[in-house]
Amino acid sequence: MTALLFLLIAPLFTGSLKWLKARLQNRLGPDPLYDYRNLYKLWHKAWIRPSPSSPIFVWAPVMALLGAFLAALFLPLLPGFSFAGDFLVLAYLLNLGRFFQVLAALDTGSAFGGQGSYRESLVAVLAEPGTLLALGAAALASSQLSLAGLAPLSAENLLVYTLALVALALALVAEGARMPVDDPTTHLELTMIHEAQLLDHSGPLLALYELAAGLKMLVYLGLIALLMPLGAWSFPLVLLLGWLALGYLETYGVKLRYLRLPDLMSYSTLSGVLAVLGVVLRFRI
Amino acid sequence: MTLIYIAFGLLGGQSLLALLAPAAYRYLPLGLGGSGLLLALAGLPAWLGQSSALPLDATAGFYLALLGALYLGVGFYLRDYLAHHPGPRARLETLLLPLFAGSMAGVVLAPLGYSFLFLWEGMALLGYLLIALEGPAALAGSRAFFLASRVSGAGLFLALLLLIQGGPREGLVHLVWAGLVLGFGTKAALFPLHAWLPKAHPVAMSPLSALLSGGMVKLGLYGLYRALDWAGPAPAWVGWLLLGLGLAGAVYALVLGLAENDYKGVLAYSSVENLNLLLAALGGYFLLQHPFFLLAFFFHQAAHALFKGLLFLGSGALKERGLSALGGLFPKLPQTAAYSLLAAAVGAGLPPLAGFLGEWYLYQGFLSVPKGGVVSLLALGVGVLALVGALAAALYVRLLGLAFLGLPRSSQALEVHEVGLYGQVGLGLLALGLVGLSLFPGALLAPLNPPLYPVALLALGLLGLGGGLVYLLQRKPWRSYTPWDCGYNQPGQPGSALSPRMQPNALGYSEQLLRLFPFVEVKIEASREGLLHPPTLRWQGGDWWGTLEALFARGYLFLARQAQRLQSGSLHLYLLLQFLALLFVLGVSWQ
Repeated sequence: MTALLFLLIAPLFTGSLKWLKARLQNRLGPDPLYDYRNLYKLWHKAWIRPSPSSPIFVWAPVMALLGAFLAALFLPLLPGFSFAGDFLVLAYLLNLGRFFQVLAALDTGSAFGGQGSYRESLVAVLAEPGTLLALGAAALASSQLSLAGLAPLSAENLLVYTLALVALALALVAEGARMPVDDPTTHLELTMIHEAQLLDHSGPLLALYELAAGLKMLVYLGLIALLMPLGAWSFPLVLLLGWLALGYLETYGVKLRYLRLPDLMSYSTLSGVLAVLGVVLRFRI
Repeated sequence: MTLIYIAFGLLGGQSLLALLAPAAYRYLPLGLGGSGLLLALAGLPAWLGQSSALPLDATAGFYLALLGALYLGVGFYLRDYLAHHPGPRARLETLLLPLFAGSMAGVVLAPLGYSFLFLWEGMALLGYLLIALEGPAALAGSRAFFLASRVSGAGLFLALLLLIQGGPREGLVHLVWAGLVLGFGTKAALFPLHAWLPKAHPVAMSPLSALLSGGMVKLGLYGLYRALDWAGPAPAWVGWLLLGLGLAGAVYALVLGLAENDYKGVLAYSSVENLNLLLAALGGYFLLQHPFFLLAFFFHQAAHALFKGLLFLGSGALKERGLSALGGLFPKLPQTAAYSLLAAAVGAGLPPLAGFLGEWYLYQGFLSVPKGGVVSLLALGVGVLALVGALAAALYVRLLGLAFLGLPRSSQALEVHEVGLYGQVGLGLLALGLVGLSLFPGALLAPLNPPLYPVALLALGLLGLGGGLVYLLQRKPWRSYTPWDCGYNQPGQPGSALSPRMQPNALGYSEQLLRLFPFVEVKIEASREGLLHPPTLRWQGGDWWGTLEALFARGYLFLARQAQRLQSGSLHLYLLLQFLALLFVLGVSWQ
């Protein structure tokens, strides 16, 4: 259920984010519903296939979308699947999408695709430990291993959850290819990470990739919402906060140099490690 | 047991045939493949029924089935592969391979005793001979293999002789386990005793690499698990050692694998990574006796045997193996590429395939630690596993992407051809096993009563929705065009301004990743070949282990020179030494 909801609101989220940024930058900006029309337009266009490419080129956007979509299936924001260890399946389904996306970037034989491919691999290596340590710590603090059973934030687990939230927020920025890590609006191929991989995908393929990127961000926001104590209101609130934070960050922040990324992401890993230590060694504030 | 006797009969018959007939390799699908089928048929019921009747108990059954599945695929593949070898060499290999296969199966069935040691050493020796058959190019690799099997033998002789002499006495338990860890750990590439594997496995011929990486190294793991029956529960330090070294080794091997240029070298490092993860799982089991560790241990071994076997067999189609010289093989080798993609997706741990399930169990094992106390620190293993997962994905993307996708980086890259019908059958059998294992893991793990995630549902969802979407995309209008080259291509000129050399090469792809890890050095040397040429950058991957080895070698040579002084040729010194030795012996016997 969550997956379908996410599929419906993902274009709204990314579209309104563009609108918010434009407003913050004193521009008129596109209509918040623009991304729906954009996806519709892209889906009805013809697409171009680079001559050296293999079938992976077509499968990659499909797998990227399905990876994020199926991952959202395991988020218990609305009733859905739940079992012990589901957050691991969720994290690795996102990996599945990225595996194909990174592979397809090498498929075109172009220099930019290759650059995007290894940069994304680096970001994944930096972000992955923090994400899983944070989720693992939250699961350990709740004494069970499914997302549906995560205990909400309380005085009991304040320290662990705060650290986990820091790790997840940094992972959201990294995996969603947002500002300090990657600039979604860059026009310069040399600085791209996410966009460099999509450079040769056009029309409906691009539509699938864009939808997948939006879904992926929502999945991370959903994970953050699961740790919040407001019950049914957690997700809308987290969505709103995330939306404002991303808009603010991309207006007033700058993109970090690619080589400085390890410095930023080490905070994610560090928070993850501290969260796990906090829960197993029973640290309290 | 009858099936096993027939299987051994088939292997022996195949070796005999090689002595008598020159073209005996033609019968390898029957001799090796057939015996593999029989071994698998004999082993599986013993594993599924959790039989405890020696010699074919559940553990032996599992390993027999694993080896059998591998022999089945490799047996078919060998028929095509050996046809390209010169006659006498193919004959020698046909003689030795069934003996090697038989000794591996024998190790699994042998009871604790001299027969085990005999078969173990026979396996090591035959493996060495088979690698050495590659000629001078394989000299360093076969030597490393031989030395490692000596180290392994030293540990095993120590431990097994103590065990055979009436079981471990109090106080000797630690010595026995030290011997076992050294002996079996070296075979299972326990970090830092793994250095032989990436030297030996890539130089062997591809089907042999598949047997070594898929089968033989697993017997080291088998030995450590079996040692629980022989020597009783392991002391805690064994568990910690295996866990610590295993997790460190997995990361270390992946990083070195990312620096490796040789296609098969990357596969060998990936083997080291998987073996070290398995050792970590076993260490976790020794410490906590939690079933999750055992599930990960058994299931991941089966998955690794099949996917690594498939990848190594696939590499047999490549003539040029340097990743920096490869590229664009997908259209030339569609089947091999598809099989390799499947195997690599398993190796990268992607759900819903088999490689993920083992990691899933391992994660849950780490997360089920008791809170409080030193043992709870195991929960940090989650972070290491996540790092390993991300690095493994990068390793396999790099391997597949550089070899099969994009544009060919050299003219030699395209001198490849698909293997013949028998080879395809061999590859297909292993791939079939892998798909079966991925979709129905419960069938293999049934005796351990495992928790599962909805594997079949996920696979159905992915293939159903994915296939549907791809079908829709294919029906839309599309055309082929050159990749985006920033518009440098002039309208009148054909082709693209991109040249294959603009693609990342083997070290270029992983340079930034390597810089994250302090134990690998990346050097950049800019060299100018004339004013009109752009500078070319060279990379060099080095590592501290090599430096340590060199330091060790220097120290050893220094000691050797000191010892040489004794051999000065002076008769007086020799007489003095003899006299001292006599005094020493008398003194010892006096006591």
